[in-house]
Amino acid sequence: MGASGRYLVAVSRGLDAEALSEVRAIHGSGVHMVECEGLQAIVCDVDLDEFGEEPLRGNLENLAWVEEMARAHHAAVCAVDAVATTVPMRFATIYESDDRVAEQLRVLRDPLTEALDRVEGASEWSVKAYAAPEPPEPADRPRAESGVAYLAQRREAVEARRRRESDDEEALSAFHHELARLAVASRRLQLQDPRLSGRQEPMRMNAAYLVAHHAAERFSDCATTALTGRPDLRAEVDGPWPPYSFAALELS
Amino acid sequence: MTLETTARADAQISLVDLLDRLLGTGVVLVGDVVISLAGIDLVRVQLEALITSVRSELAPDPHGEAGSDGT
Repeated sequence: MGASGRYLVAVSRGLDAEALSEVRAIHGSGVHMVECEGLQAIVCDVDLDEFGEEPLRGNLENLAWVEEMARAHHAAVCAVDAVATTVPMRFATIYESDDRVAEQLRVLRDPLTEALDRVEGASEWSVKAYAAPEPPEPADRPRAESGVAYLAQRREAVEARRRRESDDEEALSAFHHELARLAVASRRLQLQDPRLSGRQEPMRMNAAYLVAHHAAERFSDCATTALTGRPDLRAEVDGPWPPYSFAALELS
Repeated sequence: MTLETTARADAQISLVDLLDRLLGTGVVLVGDVVISLAGIDLVRVQLEALITSVRSELAPDPHGEAGSDGT
Protein backbone atom coordinates (compact mmCIF):
# COMPACT_ATOMS: atom_id res chain seq x y z
CA MET A 1 0.00 0.00 0.00
CA GLY A 2 1.49 3.31 -1.08
CA ALA A 3 0.72 6.82 0.09
CA SER A 4 -2.95 7.66 0.30
CA GLY A 5 -4.84 10.46 -1.38
CA ARG A 6 -8.35 11.80 -1.06
CA TYR A 7 -10.94 10.98 -3.69
CA LEU A 8 -13.53 13.75 -3.73
CA VAL A 9 -16.99 12.30 -4.39
CA ALA A 10 -19.25 15.32 -3.96
CA VAL A 11 -19.80 18.62 -2.20
CA SER A 12 -22.94 18.97 -0.09
CA ARG A 13 -24.48 21.18 2.53
CA GLY A 14 -26.79 20.50 5.45
CA LEU A 15 -25.65 16.91 5.67
CA ASP A 16 -25.75 15.08 8.98
CA ALA A 17 -22.42 13.27 9.49
CA GLU A 18 -24.38 10.31 10.89
CA ALA A 19 -25.93 9.81 7.46
CA LEU A 20 -22.51 8.93 6.04
CA SER A 21 -21.86 5.90 8.22
CA GLU A 22 -23.36 3.48 5.70
CA VAL A 23 -22.07 5.18 2.55
CA ARG A 24 -19.49 3.18 0.58
CA ALA A 25 -17.30 4.58 -2.15
CA ILE A 26 -14.19 3.41 -4.02
CA HIS A 27 -13.42 -0.29 -3.36
CA GLY A 28 -16.25 -0.26 -0.82
CA SER A 29 -14.38 2.03 1.54
CA GLY A 30 -16.22 4.36 3.91
CA VAL A 31 -16.35 8.11 3.42
CA HIS A 32 -15.67 11.06 5.65
CA MET A 33 -16.53 14.71 5.58
CA VAL A 34 -14.25 17.73 5.27
CA GLU A 35 -16.07 20.91 6.30
CA CYS A 36 -15.16 24.48 5.49
CA GLU A 37 -17.16 27.68 4.98
CA GLY A 38 -20.45 25.82 5.53
CA LEU A 39 -19.66 23.41 2.69
CA GLN A 40 -19.11 19.70 3.13
CA ALA A 41 -16.78 17.71 0.94
CA ILE A 42 -17.45 13.97 0.90
CA VAL A 43 -14.17 12.12 0.45
CA CYS A 44 -12.75 8.65 0.71
CA ASP A 45 -9.16 7.46 0.96
CA VAL A 46 -7.56 5.97 -2.11
CA ASP A 47 -4.16 4.47 -2.71
CA LEU A 48 -1.96 6.69 -4.88
CA ASP A 49 -0.40 3.53 -6.30
CA GLU A 50 -3.79 3.24 -8.01
CA PHE A 51 -4.97 6.85 -8.30
CA GLY A 52 -1.69 8.76 -8.64
CA GLU A 53 -1.04 10.42 -11.97
CA GLU A 54 0.96 7.65 -13.65
CA PRO A 55 -1.09 4.64 -12.48
CA LEU A 56 -4.34 6.53 -13.11
CA ARG A 57 -3.35 7.18 -16.70
CA GLY A 58 -2.82 3.46 -17.19
CA ASN A 59 -5.96 2.46 -15.32
CA LEU A 60 -8.09 4.77 -17.45
CA GLU A 61 -7.20 2.56 -20.41
CA ASN A 62 -8.79 -0.41 -18.68
CA LEU A 63 -12.52 -0.35 -19.28
CA ALA A 64 -13.26 -2.92 -16.58
CA TRP A 65 -11.42 -0.78 -14.02
CA VAL A 66 -13.20 2.37 -15.19
CA GLU A 67 -16.56 0.64 -14.91
CA GLU A 68 -15.94 -0.65 -11.40
CA MET A 69 -14.77 2.77 -10.18
CA ALA A 70 -17.52 4.67 -12.00
CA ARG A 71 -20.18 2.49 -10.39
CA ALA A 72 -18.61 2.93 -6.94
CA HIS A 73 -18.43 6.71 -7.47
CA HIS A 74 -22.04 6.80 -8.63
CA ALA A 75 -23.28 4.69 -5.71
CA ALA A 76 -21.64 7.07 -3.22
CA VAL A 77 -22.98 10.15 -5.02
CA CYS A 78 -26.51 8.68 -5.01
CA ALA A 79 -26.31 7.88 -1.30
CA VAL A 80 -25.28 11.43 -0.45
CA ASP A 81 -27.68 13.01 -2.95
CA ALA A 82 -30.55 11.11 -1.32
CA VAL A 83 -30.09 12.94 1.99
CA ALA A 84 -28.71 16.39 1.17
CA THR A 85 -28.32 18.96 -1.59
CA THR A 86 -25.33 17.66 -3.51
CA VAL A 87 -23.03 18.68 -6.33
CA PRO A 88 -21.38 15.54 -7.72
CA MET A 89 -17.73 15.75 -8.71
CA ARG A 90 -16.22 14.55 -11.92
CA PHE A 91 -14.79 11.04 -11.93
CA ALA A 92 -11.35 10.74 -10.28
CA THR A 93 -10.94 14.12 -8.61
CA ILE A 94 -8.01 13.42 -6.29
CA TYR A 95 -6.32 15.58 -3.62
CA GLU A 96 -3.25 15.01 -1.53
CA SER A 97 -4.90 15.62 1.83
CA ASP A 98 -7.97 16.81 3.72
CA ASP A 99 -6.24 20.20 4.05
CA ARG A 100 -6.03 20.52 0.28
CA VAL A 101 -9.73 19.64 0.00
CA ALA A 102 -10.61 22.28 2.62
CA GLU A 103 -8.52 24.82 0.75
CA GLN A 104 -10.53 24.15 -2.43
CA LEU A 105 -13.78 24.62 -0.51
CA ARG A 106 -12.50 27.94 0.79
CA VAL A 107 -11.25 29.20 -2.57
CA LEU A 108 -14.31 28.02 -4.49
CA ARG A 109 -16.91 28.84 -1.86
CA ASP A 110 -18.95 31.21 -4.05
CA PRO A 111 -19.19 29.13 -7.23
CA LEU A 112 -19.81 25.96 -5.20
CA THR A 113 -22.59 27.73 -3.29
CA GLU A 114 -24.11 28.89 -6.58
CA ALA A 115 -23.99 25.35 -7.93
CA LEU A 116 -25.69 24.03 -4.78
CA ASP A 117 -28.35 26.75 -5.04
CA ARG A 118 -28.97 25.78 -8.66
CA VAL A 119 -29.52 22.07 -7.95
CA GLU A 120 -31.37 22.39 -4.64
CA GLY A 121 -34.78 20.67 -4.75
CA ALA A 122 -34.18 19.31 -8.22
CA SER A 123 -32.86 16.20 -9.96
CA GLU A 124 -31.46 15.44 -13.36
CA TRP A 125 -33.57 13.56 -15.93
CA SER A 126 -32.24 12.02 -19.06
CA VAL A 127 -34.30 11.97 -22.26
CA LYS A 128 -33.02 10.22 -25.34
CA ALA A 129 -34.75 9.83 -28.65
CA TYR A 130 -34.14 7.16 -31.25
CA ALA A 131 -35.25 6.99 -34.85
CA ALA A 132 -36.61 3.82 -36.36
CA PRO A 133 -33.80 1.64 -37.73
CA GLU A 134 -32.68 2.70 -41.22
CA PRO A 135 -34.91 1.03 -43.82
CA PRO A 136 -32.92 -1.66 -45.64
CA GLU A 137 -32.26 -1.26 -49.34
CA PRO A 138 -35.27 -2.76 -51.14
CA ALA A 139 -34.17 -6.17 -52.38
CA ASP A 140 -36.27 -5.98 -55.53
CA ARG A 141 -34.86 -2.63 -56.61
CA PRO A 142 -33.75 -2.94 -60.23
CA ARG A 143 -30.00 -3.00 -60.54
CA ALA A 144 -28.59 0.18 -61.93
CA GLU A 145 -27.87 -0.26 -65.62
CA SER A 146 -24.88 2.05 -65.67
CA GLY A 147 -22.47 3.89 -63.44
CA VAL A 148 -24.41 7.12 -63.96
CA ALA A 149 -27.71 5.46 -62.96
CA TYR A 150 -26.01 3.93 -59.93
CA LEU A 151 -24.67 7.29 -58.79
CA ALA A 152 -28.11 8.86 -59.26
CA GLN A 153 -29.59 6.09 -57.08
CA ARG A 154 -26.98 6.66 -54.39
CA ARG A 155 -27.55 10.42 -54.46
CA GLU A 156 -31.28 9.91 -54.11
CA ALA A 157 -30.77 7.61 -51.12
CA VAL A 158 -28.42 10.08 -49.44
CA GLU A 159 -30.85 12.95 -50.05
CA ALA A 160 -33.79 10.95 -48.64
CA ARG A 161 -31.75 10.20 -45.56
CA ARG A 162 -30.76 13.85 -45.14
CA ARG A 163 -34.43 14.89 -45.37
CA ARG A 164 -35.41 12.30 -42.75
CA GLU A 165 -32.71 13.52 -40.37
CA SER A 166 -33.68 17.14 -40.88
CA ASP A 167 -37.38 16.35 -40.21
CA ASP A 168 -36.35 14.44 -37.10
CA GLU A 169 -34.21 17.31 -35.88
CA GLU A 170 -37.06 19.78 -36.30
CA ALA A 171 -39.47 17.60 -34.32
CA LEU A 172 -36.88 16.91 -31.65
CA SER A 173 -35.92 20.53 -31.30
CA ALA A 174 -39.58 21.34 -30.55
CA PHE A 175 -39.72 18.37 -28.18
CA HIS A 176 -36.59 19.56 -26.39
CA HIS A 177 -37.99 23.08 -25.99
CA GLU A 178 -41.25 21.76 -24.60
CA LEU A 179 -39.34 19.72 -22.01
CA ALA A 180 -36.97 22.59 -21.24
CA ARG A 181 -39.95 24.77 -20.32
CA LEU A 182 -40.75 22.31 -17.51
CA ALA A 183 -37.15 22.26 -16.31
CA VAL A 184 -34.94 24.60 -14.32
CA ALA A 185 -32.11 24.09 -16.82
CA SER A 186 -31.38 21.85 -19.75
CA ARG A 187 -28.59 20.81 -22.05
CA ARG A 188 -28.15 18.56 -25.01
CA LEU A 189 -25.35 16.04 -24.65
CA GLN A 190 -23.32 14.38 -27.38
CA LEU A 191 -25.10 11.56 -29.14
CA GLN A 192 -23.90 8.18 -27.92
CA ASP A 193 -21.87 6.04 -30.23
CA PRO A 194 -23.91 2.92 -31.09
CA ARG A 195 -20.75 0.84 -30.67
CA LEU A 196 -20.63 1.87 -27.00
CA SER A 197 -24.38 1.85 -26.33
CA GLY A 198 -24.99 -1.35 -28.26
CA ARG A 199 -28.18 0.13 -29.75
CA GLN A 200 -29.18 -0.57 -33.33
CA GLU A 201 -31.50 2.41 -33.82
CA PRO A 202 -29.82 5.71 -34.62
CA MET A 203 -29.86 8.06 -31.64
CA ARG A 204 -31.23 11.46 -32.56
CA MET A 205 -31.26 13.26 -29.21
CA ASN A 206 -29.43 12.87 -25.92
CA ALA A 207 -30.45 15.56 -23.44
CA ALA A 208 -30.35 16.24 -19.71
CA TYR A 209 -32.85 18.32 -17.77
CA LEU A 210 -32.66 19.69 -14.26
CA VAL A 211 -36.21 19.27 -12.95
CA ALA A 212 -37.69 20.42 -9.65
CA HIS A 213 -38.95 17.47 -7.59
CA HIS A 214 -42.50 18.84 -7.62
CA ALA A 215 -42.46 19.03 -11.43
CA ALA A 216 -40.97 15.56 -11.99
CA GLU A 217 -44.25 13.80 -12.68
CA ARG A 218 -45.41 16.40 -15.19
CA PHE A 219 -42.01 16.31 -16.86
CA SER A 220 -42.01 12.54 -17.11
CA ASP A 221 -45.57 12.53 -18.53
CA CYS A 222 -44.62 15.10 -21.12
CA ALA A 223 -41.46 13.23 -22.09
CA THR A 224 -43.37 9.98 -22.63
CA THR A 225 -46.31 11.48 -24.55
CA ALA A 226 -45.08 14.51 -26.49
CA LEU A 227 -43.72 12.49 -29.40
CA THR A 228 -46.84 10.39 -29.94
CA GLY A 229 -47.48 12.20 -33.23
CA ARG A 230 -44.23 10.74 -34.52
CA PRO A 231 -44.43 6.96 -34.20
CA ASP A 232 -41.09 6.68 -35.98
CA LEU A 233 -39.32 8.50 -33.12
CA ARG A 234 -39.13 6.91 -29.72
CA ALA A 235 -38.26 8.76 -26.52
CA GLU A 236 -36.76 7.11 -23.46
CA VAL A 237 -36.93 8.86 -20.10
CA ASP A 238 -34.55 7.92 -17.34
CA GLY A 239 -34.21 9.41 -13.90
CA PRO A 240 -33.89 10.84 -11.46
CA TRP A 241 -30.12 11.19 -11.59
CA PRO A 242 -27.95 13.24 -9.25
CA PRO A 243 -27.40 16.56 -11.03
CA TYR A 244 -24.15 15.58 -12.77
CA SER A 245 -24.79 17.58 -15.92
CA PHE A 246 -25.60 20.75 -14.01
CA ALA A 247 -22.74 20.77 -11.55
CA ALA A 248 -20.22 22.69 -13.62
CA LEU A 249 -18.91 25.73 -11.84
CA GLU A 250 -19.14 29.14 -13.35
CA LEU A 251 -15.76 30.60 -12.53
CA SER A 252 -15.42 34.31 -12.95
CA MET B 1 -46.16 13.49 -6.10
CA THR B 2 -45.82 9.80 -6.77
CA LEU B 3 -42.58 9.69 -8.67
CA GLU B 4 -39.57 8.38 -6.86
CA THR B 5 -37.08 11.23 -6.46
CA THR B 6 -34.16 9.26 -5.12
CA ALA B 7 -31.64 8.45 -7.80
CA ARG B 8 -30.92 4.84 -8.57
CA ALA B 9 -27.50 3.42 -7.87
CA ASP B 10 -28.15 -0.04 -9.24
CA ALA B 11 -26.15 -1.94 -11.81
CA GLN B 12 -28.92 -1.63 -14.42
CA ILE B 13 -27.55 1.72 -15.50
CA SER B 14 -25.52 1.30 -18.65
CA LEU B 15 -21.85 2.20 -18.52
CA VAL B 16 -22.18 4.60 -21.43
CA ASP B 17 -24.94 6.55 -19.60
CA LEU B 18 -22.78 6.67 -16.51
CA LEU B 19 -19.70 7.89 -18.36
CA ASP B 20 -21.80 10.52 -20.15
CA ARG B 21 -22.32 12.04 -16.74
CA LEU B 22 -19.21 11.22 -14.74
CA LEU B 23 -16.87 12.30 -17.51
CA GLY B 24 -18.79 14.11 -20.19
CA THR B 25 -20.17 17.14 -18.47
CA GLY B 26 -19.96 18.03 -14.80
CA VAL B 27 -16.35 19.11 -14.84
CA VAL B 28 -15.92 20.75 -11.52
CA LEU B 29 -12.65 20.91 -9.66
CA VAL B 30 -9.10 20.42 -10.76
CA GLY B 31 -7.58 17.95 -8.35
CA ASP B 32 -3.95 17.57 -7.31
CA VAL B 33 -3.67 14.62 -9.63
CA VAL B 34 -4.09 16.10 -13.07
CA ILE B 35 -5.03 13.89 -15.97
CA SER B 36 -5.25 15.76 -19.21
CA LEU B 37 -7.70 13.33 -20.76
CA ALA B 38 -11.00 15.00 -21.46
CA GLY B 39 -13.92 12.68 -20.84
CA ILE B 40 -14.75 12.36 -24.48
CA ASP B 41 -11.19 11.41 -25.30
CA LEU B 42 -11.30 8.73 -22.69
CA VAL B 43 -14.44 7.26 -24.16
CA ARG B 44 -12.85 7.34 -27.58
CA VAL B 45 -9.71 5.64 -26.30
CA GLN B 46 -11.83 2.93 -24.76
CA LEU B 47 -13.91 2.56 -27.87
CA GLU B 48 -10.82 2.03 -29.99
CA ALA B 49 -9.55 -0.53 -27.51
CA LEU B 50 -12.88 -2.34 -27.48
CA ILE B 51 -13.16 -2.42 -31.22
CA THR B 52 -9.62 -3.68 -31.53
CA SER B 53 -10.24 -6.50 -29.09
CA VAL B 54 -13.54 -7.43 -30.71
CA ARG B 55 -11.86 -7.45 -34.14
CA SER B 56 -9.07 -9.70 -32.99
CA GLU B 57 -11.62 -12.14 -31.57
CA LEU B 58 -13.49 -12.12 -34.86
CA ALA B 59 -10.42 -12.74 -36.98
CA PRO B 60 -9.61 -16.46 -36.82
CA ASP B 61 -7.62 -16.32 -40.06
CA PRO B 62 -4.06 -15.33 -39.13
CA HIS B 63 -3.46 -14.26 -42.71
CA GLY B 64 -6.37 -11.84 -42.32
CA GLU B 65 -6.10 -9.28 -45.05
CA ALA B 66 -3.51 -11.00 -47.22
CA GLY B 67 -6.19 -11.52 -49.87
CA SER B 68 -4.48 -9.75 -52.71
CA ASP B 69 -1.22 -11.12 -53.90
CA GLY B 70 0.44 -7.72 -53.82
CA THR B 71 2.67 -8.32 -56.77
